Amino acid sequence: MFPDKLKSYLLEVQKPSRYTGGEIGQVCKQKAEVRFAFCFPDIYDVGMSHLGMKILYSLINERKEYWCERVFAPWPDMENIMRREHILLYALESGEEIRNFDFIGFTLQYEMSYTNILNMLDLAGVPLFQKDRGEQIMPLVVAGGPCACNPEPLADFFDLFILGEGEEVNLELMDLYQKMRGHASRTEFLKAAAQIEGIYVPSLYEIQYHEDGTVKAILPHDGAPSHIRKRVMTDMNQCYYPEHVVIPFIEPIHDRISVEVLRGCIRGCRFCQAGFLYRPFREKSAGTVCQQAVTLCRNSGYDELSLSSLSTSDHSQIEQILDQLLVYTAEQHINLSLPSLRIDNFSKSVMEKVTTIRKSGLTFAPEAGTQRLRDVINKNVTEEEVMHTCQIAFEGGYTTVKLYFMMGLPTETDEDIKGIADLTQKVVNLFYDMPDRAKGKLQISISTATFVPKPFTPFEFEPQAEKSEILRKQAVLKKAIKSKKIKVSMHVSDISQMEAALARGDRRLCAVLYDAWKNGSHLDSWEEFFDASRWYEAFQKNQLDPAFYANRTRSYEEIMPWSHLDYMISRKFLIHENQKAHQAQTTAPCRETCAGCGANQCLGRPCF
Amino acid sequence: MKDYRVLFEKKGISKYISHLDLNRCMLRAIRRSGLPAWYTEGFHPHLYLMFPLALSLGTESICEVMDFRLTEALPPEEILQKLNAALPEGLHAFAVREPHDQTQDICQAEYLVRLSGSALADLWDAFIHQPQILTQKRTKKGLKEMDIKSMLICESVIQESQELVLMLLLPAGNDGNLNVSVVTDAFQNFAGKPISVNAVCRMKIFCRNQKEFL
Repeated sequence: MFPDKLKSYLLEVQKPSRYTGGEIGQVCKQKAEVRFAFCFPDIYDVGMSHLGMKILYSLINERKEYWCERVFAPWPDMENIMRREHILLYALESGEEIRNFDFIGFTLQYEMSYTNILNMLDLAGVPLFQKDRGEQIMPLVVAGGPCACNPEPLADFFDLFILGEGEEVNLELMDLYQKMRGHASRTEFLKAAAQIEGIYVPSLYEIQYHEDGTVKAILPHDGAPSHIRKRVMTDMNQCYYPEHVVIPFIEPIHDRISVEVLRGCIRGCRFCQAGFLYRPFREKSAGTVCQQAVTLCRNSGYDELSLSSLSTSDHSQIEQILDQLLVYTAEQHINLSLPSLRIDNFSKSVMEKVTTIRKSGLTFAPEAGTQRLRDVINKNVTEEEVMHTCQIAFEGGYTTVKLYFMMGLPTETDEDIKGIADLTQKVVNLFYDMPDRAKGKLQISISTATFVPKPFTPFEFEPQAEKSEILRKQAVLKKAIKSKKIKVSMHVSDISQMEAALARGDRRLCAVLYDAWKNGSHLDSWEEFFDASRWYEAFQKNQLDPAFYANRTRSYEEIMPWSHLDYMISRKFLIHENQKAHQAQTTAPCRETCAGCGANQCLGRPCF
Repeated sequence: MKDYRVLFEKKGISKYISHLDLNRCMLRAIRRSGLPAWYTEGFHPHLYLMFPLALSLGTESICEVMDFRLTEALPPEEILQKLNAALPEGLHAFAVREPHDQTQDICQAEYLVRLSGSALADLWDAFIHQPQILTQKRTKKGLKEMDIKSMLICESVIQESQELVLMLLLPAGNDGNLNVSVVTDAFQNFAGKPISVNAVCRMKIFCRNQKEFL
């Protein structure tokens, strides 16, 4: 539901059913003891595609006395109306203002959504800074998700952060709250919550800086632990998975049922934060995957099913899963898609299975143009494999191939950039050299993104390339591309530098974030709304330099702003991987050889 | 294989579901209902589902029509019960029958319109008795001026304490459509002041000779 006051304005905005609630699958309760507003800091269309939210929403609502509701950022047309008519941000299920909830929980999916968080808190009528919320215990403003691995740029705005996987710890936190709410103050609750494994209460840590601006020490007080370890679900077959999901009226970005088939990744691509954050590698059994897929399809009525993970084709039983599922999906007229296939193990039989359902474009990410650079980033894909996969794809009737690359990778030279053009040209030639090639026009598009170094990766020490250097390299690439069949899309933007600064930023960026928002920044991940000058002004006002965070080489000894957060990836391992990168040495996938990152300590056994 | 025509209401918050979204929503509802829906037999089979007359976003209705096909004949009560169990708030099927008329037979629809205002009846009267009712209509080539006088039939006017309640009969279907909002916008222009439209509800769909679409 929505507030009554909104009724007369709903037809003035685009896609009003973003704001009404009432979808099939939403959970409403007559009464609840603890209320949780699950906020996705972007618009409905984006947030309703997010798998993590679906899991945690259902998980909390399974508990009779707890009620979790959904909240999204309004599009500017609606925001204007809300501000003009003094309508505070509400939750979609009840239509009630979230400032009266016990928990306001944000998921931190990408850095450029941070200003949306401030904007949503402001729209909700909740004081932005944690220190201004007083001693009343509620609302508690909390956050989890991948970017919680370095939440320092948000530290002043949040009561606590939840590190790692939320299936258990979210309920532990709510249980503690339910026990303490009658008698405890906010501070007392936070001190107690800090004792739960995986809960990080930033106000219980003092940060000291060296004169050069780097972190000197991170000092816990009031009994807070010196290191906070992320939470991990050890058995994916026992791990909670929803049987019902909310089915939006409008079409979200990903309009389908997603079944998570595995967590973690065996690959160890050195640029990929998710590949390290979500370790260790854990699979669901083929039986569990199929059962969950069938249940969700049946309950939702969806005709689109996706098997999702960081690398679905790395599931050890992928063929078995496909064999079982395809019987059901064919009979039920369901499209099955595998969104994250890998070039090197994209076998003909998997291909055939997928193409029985639908032919569309193929997307691959070689990430770098030369073998040397692919070795540096440990993207263990060879040119032969790219060619082999494209050949299978072309034989299978595909004529559209998308290739993704990064620019500004460590050790990158102009040779590597020209390599992107060479590799793509070889794919074009391959197609035209095939006697039995598919009918239709070949379309190869390549897209390049600026590399952003992230915490808990072997590249966390690396500087991001300057914008001028990226621009120069783009020109090199454009010049090197000869074929008209190749469409290049690359854009430069200052967004990458802001993303890099926030990703590895410290607590002093809270003030920058606040000023950037005050200057009008929000919906920054939507290019039409991003304005770099607002950010640069905010940095300047606080006498900070984005280059200090984004473009500076960090020593192996430096205390990182996130050094007190334990994601079970040892610093020693990251340094070793970084050194190997500079020598262009690869590391084998975890399944072949354990590289000793440390993530298996939570399992108490080797991963494989 | 048997064709069915479902009549349903679209009320409350479901009026904010656009026509395209309604299509996807109904498709999933039929799939959830467990009814033995018929799929097309082409290369990409899809569930056969047809809405003879689209409804504007924001308009409620007590007479919406949806056609689909089942692989076997079932009692109407069973179809209604299974479908309604799968429908979201505001959408409610109330009758199932064999299709009689065809989409192209549709030519008019009747709407109940509630305008906000305590003394609008005279103004409305003057509005519809103009020699011409000129209005701007948005087309692909930009704004086009047109006279809607001949298209607009006002069946009744009742001034309630806070609302002017109109019953309008407007062209609908393949041979020409007139949206209620075109009429209410023209009335606002005529009045020279904003008049808020509190509610619009489609009441009936007609074929030629004012025969109800069945």
